Amino acid sequence: MNIPDSLRYTDQHEWIKVDGNIGTVGVTDFAQNSLSDMTYVELPEVGRDVKKGDELAAIESCKAAASIYAAVAGSVTEVNEELESDPGLINTDPYGGGWICKIEIADEAELETLLTAEQYAPLCQQEG
Amino acid sequence: MSEQTSPQKTPLYQLHEELGASIVDFHGWMLPVRYQSIMAEHKACRESAAVFDTCHMGQFAITGPRAAEALEGPLTQKASALKPGRCKYGLILNEQAGILDDTILMRLGEEDFLLVVNAGTRAADFQLIEQQLAAFGDDVSLVDNSSTFGKIDLQGPAAYEVLRSIVDDEKPKMGYFAARRTEILGHQCVLSRTGYTGELGYEMYLPRAGLGEVFKTLVDHPLVSPAGLGARDLLRLEMCYPLYGDDMSEETNPVEADLDRFLNLKGNFTGSQALAEAAAAGSRRKLVAFIGEGRRRAENGQEIAVEGKTVGTVTSALFSPSMGASIGMGYVATEFAAEGTALTINHPRGPLPVTVAAKPLYRQGTCGNINAFSKE
Repeated sequence: MNIPDSLRYTDQHEWIKVDGNIGTVGVTDFAQNSLSDMTYVELPEVGRDVKKGDELAAIESCKAAASIYAAVAGSVTEVNEELESDPGLINTDPYGGGWICKIEIADEAELETLLTAEQYAPLCQQEG
Repeated sequence: MSEQTSPQKTPLYQLHEELGASIVDFHGWMLPVRYQSIMAEHKACRESAAVFDTCHMGQFAITGPRAAEALEGPLTQKASALKPGRCKYGLILNEQAGILDDTILMRLGEEDFLLVVNAGTRAADFQLIEQQLAAFGDDVSLVDNSSTFGKIDLQGPAAYEVLRSIVDDEKPKMGYFAARRTEILGHQCVLSRTGYTGELGYEMYLPRAGLGEVFKTLVDHPLVSPAGLGARDLLRLEMCYPLYGDDMSEETNPVEADLDRFLNLKGNFTGSQALAEAAAAGSRRKLVAFIGEGRRRAENGQEIAVEGKTVGTVTSALFSPSMGASIGMGYVATEFAAEGTALTINHPRGPLPVTVAAKPLYRQGTCGNINAFSKE
């Protein structure tokens, strides 16, 4: 199970990579593995404002459907359009080519509420 | 549907664990849903070969001088018209023509039949057949071999190439829906050229002692991948093969399920009178196949609408890699069952437009072509 130290996590198996005030968002290796092959991704609209916990995107896999929630409040600045034709990128490269969208973070203090890799790993153990 | 007991393991369970399978409870059986990737397993079956553990399915041996005659009571297949060495698809109906199960009947000899039934319906099927056969006394014997035998399916264009290397006789070539007794790796077995994927394939009915060796030999073959229920469901839905419990049940009759074309409507079996009446009257709803425009798919149980009015329900739906679009089946009012009819699935994420399409959706299947692989 790949859980990079450089990222922050939610207990819903999303990750966020922070670069200045921009956060890149995706789902974790654990999530992609439990959901199996992704077949569809519904991306948010660029410019949409979200609160922490709002539904940001939806994904469907061979056997399941799941919602992706905003880890922090902000505004969507960019979406990964490649996922529209190749949702399998989430399976093959969950922390790279499988990114879902970028958010301009409204309140950086909210990042402190997220899990570190060390805090997230036991959740996967429990659910795995 | 499922029997109320803790889930059972097939004789191949240990091998699935060693292969790293994700296991699910399917009608009371712990079976692999996938080993690695459902998509990769689907692709292996469409392009090379895949092996499936189907030991959960029931198998009944029916023998004796009046076996053929006796089977014409409970089964829609006309057993007496089936030639030795052949198989036929059919149903078990109740008196109202509600579908109790779908089955494959094999005639292995004049007085020697094998019936393959679904896992969740096995116990009820056995009871019903046993009752109907009782009148024939010692002239017919019915034995449930489900716990002493198992079944392995080998499916895919390369299935014949692979089978040739493990069948111990001179003539592994068989016609579509042929069946016979043979030996595989020294184990006596029944072999049929049938399947649930649309590809060239075989089903092997082996005593428990031989299952592990045959499964392992197939998994180790370079042309074969192990495949789970996830790939199996996708493969069968692309072919529009209905799944018992999802696409048909006791609440649906064969005319509604679009299966009457496979049945002998003049037979004299349980439910035949009700079936003939249903066929003459026509049904108010029909099981149709549909295809979407994009990747977003429907979910089982969602309503199907036309111009805002509910006209049916989704019974199966998945994204199809072969079609590059979402696909499914569902029951709709008969006036909306024609090919090309535009339907809307009431999906909580917004209306999902789909179009009624001819069955099967996938048309490149190799099930009828034994030379599928060598000609490539």
